[in-house]
Amino acid sequence: MATTTATITLSSADLLSDNMSLSATMNLYKGGTTATGLEQVNYHRLIVPTGTNFDLIEESDALKDNSNYVYIINKNTDVTDYVKISINAEEIGRLYAGDWLFMPWNCDLSAAANDSTIELQAFTHEHVIEYALFHIGETLVTAADS
Amino acid sequence: MATTTATITIASSDIADNSFSVSNTSTLTTAGTDTGITETTGLGRKKFASGSNIVLLDGGLTSGIAADVTADKSAKVYIKNHNDRGNGTKYVTILLAAVEIGRLYGGDWMFIPWCAASGKDIEFTASDATETTLEYTCFYE
Repeated sequence: MATTTATITLSSADLLSDNMSLSATMNLYKGGTTATGLEQVNYHRLIVPTGTNFDLIEESDALKDNSNYVYIINKNTDVTDYVKISINAEEIGRLYAGDWLFMPWNCDLSAAANDSTIELQAFTHEHVIEYALFHIGETLVTAADS
Repeated sequence: MATTTATITIASSDIADNSFSVSNTSTLTTAGTDTGITETTGLGRKKFASGSNIVLLDGGLTSGIAADVTADKSAKVYIKNHNDRGNGTKYVTILLAAVEIGRLYGGDWMFIPWCAASGKDIEFTASDATETTLEYTCFYE
């Protein structure tokens, strides 16, 4: 097993009347275990054109009903640039230039869920996106010429 | 304007052949500008003991703690399951409207943008009726 940690720090000296600082650290464990770390990761960097809602991280049987964690960052620098992140046609929200997200992803394959693929659409300009999936497994595709 | 930052560091010394580390800091701004976000719901802490679906942040309301969150802007939401991990089988499922996002096991946190449109509630459902404590906050314009 591997040991992977994710730490967030939220801070501001002037949002409130006093300093605000919040920090949390978590270990990325497999679901249903007390302390067995996730062992697999995919890390990507890509340029996303505008105009189309793309599948960014596709659902698969190997990912279902367990612990997967997704990190996405918008690496653009123009403050008007943003991407919409969605699951199953439900928009989670917008990542503007420099924004990031970190969230669990269950990959629900039930009929009711319909489609749990994580989608991304770029607006204003093409976007440089980096994303990581720390995951429980991957459905490999048998080579067509095997 | 205020300056509020969100920093993430993901690190592992053994998930790959070499050490892996990613660290980034985002300054929370209003949509399409470099002006800092000036509003927050404040940090909330809620205990519950139910396996039912519960609304945490109600998008599009005309009253209540999330009523002032303007839809389709740059709101950000932080949620942490403050329980111990226990035997690793208890978790809170986080949903956007009726769509499942993922599971927060004890000690897990998440930080996401939120479109906050009408009906786009952030909801949670615990895996059972064990008492669970969530901490959460929303930064918005």
